[in-house]
Amino acid sequence: MKKKKWKLIRQIWDLIRGSTFIKLGVSIIIIFGIMAVFSPIWVNRNPEIYDPIIGVDPDVHGSEGPSLKHPLGTDYIGKDLFSQLLRGSQIAFILGIMVSVLSTTIGTIVGLVAGYYGRIVDIILMRLADIILTLPRLPLLIVISGIFGTQSNWIILLILSFTFWPTISRVIRSQTLSLRERPFIESAKVSGVGNRRIILRHLAPNVLPITFYYLTVTVTGAILVEAGLSFLGFGDPSNMSWGMMLKWCFTTGYVFKAPYWMIPPGLCISALAFSFYLIGVGLEEIVNPRLKKR
Amino acid sequence: MSMERYILSRVIQIIIIFFIVMSIIFLLFRVIPSDPTSFLLTPSMTAEAKEAIREQFGLNEPIITQYYLYFKNFFHGNFGNSFYGGRSVMNIIKERMLNSIFLVTTAVILSYIIGITVGKAIAWKRGSKTEKFFVGLGLWFYTMFTPWLGILFLWIFAFKLHLFPLGGMITSEVWIANPSLIEKICDLIHHLILPLITYVVLWFGGYMLLMRNSMLETLREDYIITARAKGLKEKDIRDKHAARNALLPIVTAFAISISFSITGAVLIETVFSWPGIGRTIVEATLRQDYPLVQGAFAIITIVVLIANFMADIAYAYLDPRISY
Amino acid sequence: MDTILEIEELEMSYQTIKGFVSAVDNVSFKIMKGESMGLVGESGCGKTSLGMCIMKLLPENARIMNGKILFDGEDIVPKTEEEMRKIRWKGVSMIFQAAMNALNPVYRVGDQIIEAIQTHDNISKEEAREKVEKLYELVGLSPERMKNYPHEYSGGMRQRAIIAMALACDPKFIIADEPTTALDVIVQDQIIDEIVNLQKKLNMTMMYISHDISVIAETCNKIGVMYAGNIVEYTYTSTLFDNPLHPYTKALMSSFPSIEGPKKELKPVPGEPPNLLNPPEGCRFYPRCSYAEEICKKENPEFVEIEKDHFLACHKVI
Repeated sequence: MKKKKWKLIRQIWDLIRGSTFIKLGVSIIIIFGIMAVFSPIWVNRNPEIYDPIIGVDPDVHGSEGPSLKHPLGTDYIGKDLFSQLLRGSQIAFILGIMVSVLSTTIGTIVGLVAGYYGRIVDIILMRLADIILTLPRLPLLIVISGIFGTQSNWIILLILSFTFWPTISRVIRSQTLSLRERPFIESAKVSGVGNRRIILRHLAPNVLPITFYYLTVTVTGAILVEAGLSFLGFGDPSNMSWGMMLKWCFTTGYVFKAPYWMIPPGLCISALAFSFYLIGVGLEEIVNPRLKKR
Repeated sequence: MSMERYILSRVIQIIIIFFIVMSIIFLLFRVIPSDPTSFLLTPSMTAEAKEAIREQFGLNEPIITQYYLYFKNFFHGNFGNSFYGGRSVMNIIKERMLNSIFLVTTAVILSYIIGITVGKAIAWKRGSKTEKFFVGLGLWFYTMFTPWLGILFLWIFAFKLHLFPLGGMITSEVWIANPSLIEKICDLIHHLILPLITYVVLWFGGYMLLMRNSMLETLREDYIITARAKGLKEKDIRDKHAARNALLPIVTAFAISISFSITGAVLIETVFSWPGIGRTIVEATLRQDYPLVQGAFAIITIVVLIANFMADIAYAYLDPRISY
Repeated sequence: MDTILEIEELEMSYQTIKGFVSAVDNVSFKIMKGESMGLVGESGCGKTSLGMCIMKLLPENARIMNGKILFDGEDIVPKTEEEMRKIRWKGVSMIFQAAMNALNPVYRVGDQIIEAIQTHDNISKEEAREKVEKLYELVGLSPERMKNYPHEYSGGMRQRAIIAMALACDPKFIIADEPTTALDVIVQDQIIDEIVNLQKKLNMTMMYISHDISVIAETCNKIGVMYAGNIVEYTYTSTLFDNPLHPYTKALMSSFPSIEGPKKELKPVPGEPPNLLNPPEGCRFYPRCSYAEEICKKENPEFVEIEKDHFLACHKVI
């Protein structure tokens, strides 16, 4: 039994290694991971100058281009753009992954429960999902964060997860519906296995590939939406995310004068979003080999 | 069940969802931690003036009455007046909504056509270098940060090359001079091109990948073998048999894509200073202009609901198997 | 008598990650005009692949490695896709399984048949429609049904429509690939009767692929027995039933009940078909053969005519 399990893991590993998409995605993520880890090292050398929020270089007046001291230059009041970029990658990772984990977990559980119990439970949960799906996401987020007044990353985390789970739960539900009719579930039911055990032991492992797929692509969605919110001015002001860097560049009138300021944050957002999506596409090809060349 | 009854049941469902969503909006704006009028009320105001403002927004009524008034006003098209400038919210929304629909519809149609055509072609040539190139390109643009691409395009094509205006929908100097209709249209198109291109570049990839995947699934169906066995021309197999069936999931995706387009519209309108509903909701929220936020949000939701409904109807016509 | 189809030493392989799988190997036979040949064998023995070779409708990873397929005297193996397109349906057509999704769900059934006719014959849509009406009557369907979609047909009706479609361009040769599988028994009988009738009425030349030797016996005047990519025995139906020579044929016959003959115990063919990725050297049947000898392990027997019109590949009998 144990041997069999190892063989399976081995096979999955081989499939992952064989996917160009996944390899490329993981490589990009590693680069950003290094940036996130490097962030405190860069800042702690001299927080008064390099802190992304409060540090200001007294020798610099206005935005200046790249130099040895500031590899990416400074913003309009002399803050180091490189340390902002490093901090941004921390925020993107933390927020993206947390939103993804939270919403995929909720989505999977809701989908399993709705699909397995059916009837009224299914109707209520799926109508709720429908309603949230019909609400236009970004305007909804804008309105909610506007209503809460002061923004914090925790609130952004919660409201992002709130809008991301319904998509996942719909897919998991339809998968559960077809699994429910399979003989092995029937036989588990007949032999008196409890509902919770059936869901956890028999259904959940079978929907896991879909969950993994959504785990990665939701990170992409979360990163892009968070960046969008920050760009529009609804981000957490106590932190410097990439979206906010671009926002300051855009609103302080440096957008066309300071390409060293304008290009890096947008490129980072796009590249990190891209890399998680690539992994998703790679997983999709493994789970659904029809998409590959025959 | 007949088509008519299907449509009727969808209409009822949508009306129910509409009421639930409107109620959510109503509740959202009542749980605002700060009194929505508080920033209009300065300490120097007299008690009567404060009261008048509270009266104007119906904040003294019991919540049930407020709820009733809310729907009553809504169906009379009365969203109140903007806190800024006092213009009727309905008038502002009407004007902005048209501007948005003009931009978004053109963009969505263009990206749909390009995405589906390219997706169809690359699925047919699966495994080729061309396919890999387009898949990579599509993925890259699909996950690109919208405002950034918009800014890049502005920087290159408007700021550096002076090919297009830096933003807005019209040049007011041109319009004040009372020009001919042709000049007006040219000016409008001149402003439209950059946001439109940004949109299409960002969105065609999504449709393209969707169409490709759907085509690849369809190409494995038995009726494709039948079509080949019948000796049909390649083009007929691809367009009449494969693409026609592959389109079905794309139509369903249209409903979802409308929601995405609105997200895109909010960002693109902000970057290109396009006077649309998306930018309106951003500015109104930042200024805490609640009547305008509430009205704009309600209208956007209604548009999404209608788009969903249209996609359902289109699907029912395209797929004869659908059980209504 | 004219030869419609002659296959010479045909070999076809699928390329897989693990290597080449030869699905059809060293197959030779002839079909004369007006004859009906049944191709029988276990699933996975290559009978459908052989059918697809004749239409050259092969998946991308399949290759014809060797041999000739002479259709009407012309070798179709080197023909281009465009040349094949003209032969398909007009020359060779196919009766697909109705259980498969052989009809496109979004078009009316009648239109799908009209489409086939108009691709090959330069006639108006009206004339094509009239022709389909006649075909519908011929296969026992009401012409009014033409305007329905596939999902509005029952399984049996769909199979009849597929037969009508196969006849649409008056092909010289028809391949029927398990046309009755997945239909219930009564409908199955009706469809088989229909095919037998049509065959007589139209003097069709056809190849009938099935795993069920009793169905083949009812419909065909010749039988080819296929095992692991090889045809092991090929002769007239009556000869085969009177005097089956190959051990596999014998085993196959004993595994089917006979209503007329004496009651005997049904014996499934023991053992598993070989893995075609590494087919055993020598005769592919020897691991399951109760008569196997030393030579069977070493040499693959040749396919020879041991008496008039009776072909066989077996060391023991020769």
